[in-house]
Amino acid sequence: MKRETRLIVISPLSEITPDQITRAVYAMGHEVTVKETCYGAVLEGTPETVKEVMEDLKKLDPLGIYSKIRGFPLGDPKRCRAQHGSRPGFSQLQREWQDLALVEKGLECALRGEKAEEQEDRARMPVKELQRFCEEVSD
Amino acid sequence: MKIFIDPPNSLILFDLVERFGHEPLSVMATIQERVDNLEIDMPPMNVSLDDVKKGLDYAGIEVPSGIRGRLAVWGPLIDEAEAAIIMEAAPYSFGCVGCHRTNLLVEYLVRKRGIPTLEIDYPHDEEEARNMVIKVKEFLEGLQ
Repeated sequence: MKRETRLIVISPLSEITPDQITRAVYAMGHEVTVKETCYGAVLEGTPETVKEVMEDLKKLDPLGIYSKIRGFPLGDPKRCRAQHGSRPGFSQLQREWQDLALVEKGLECALRGEKAEEQEDRARMPVKELQRFCEEVSD
Repeated sequence: MKIFIDPPNSLILFDLVERFGHEPLSVMATIQERVDNLEIDMPPMNVSLDDVKKGLDYAGIEVPSGIRGRLAVWGPLIDEAEAAIIMEAAPYSFGCVGCHRTNLLVEYLVRKRGIPTLEIDYPHDEEEARNMVIKVKEFLEGLQ
């Protein structure tokens, strides 16, 4: 049976708690495993069930709940920190979790139909300007 | 449509692509298949012996093994993609958890394929995030 494991991450601006997520999943009555975490929850089941659960979960807070697939299953000894797994890797998730607050604001604007502002192309610093900059710093 | 995302493990891009109705091609799904098929039996390695040869399709033998290993997993995703979103300067794609040379090669391989590609910067404030999300939305809706 094919499995799908998902990380459910709650935006810092959301009022939903990881506990509410897990309780909502249990209340749906699907054959899935859910584990509460500090950033949200980890969900595991067949791809079809997980998709169905995710669609219902996002209704709790459409702009505050984010998810992505996780390669390793729940409690995998290679990954699980409880068993000193060799792949800690929380730093990326932590950074993206912090920036979900920005993405949430961006989504609000996008869904209101706002247009992107033209931004200036980043050009390379001319050599003379770099030279002047270096001289200023070294003085 | 199948959208290649770079960084290929980005939560932000994965969620946005799914949210706007497309299928994100991520490294996590590839790793999931490998873990379930018991191809990886030597942690902390993420590649099998066959991948070492596969990596040579995307980078030359003189290229460091770490880059070839990454490209062995990411390369087939680029081949499969119908469009791509590249988020440049993501803070976690450089340094101890990333590899800038791989990022450059990935950008090169995506451009070489000639598929519709959106290049955006990682957002650092609300204004940048607003522009980033709107551009992603417009790009993905334009593909339908």
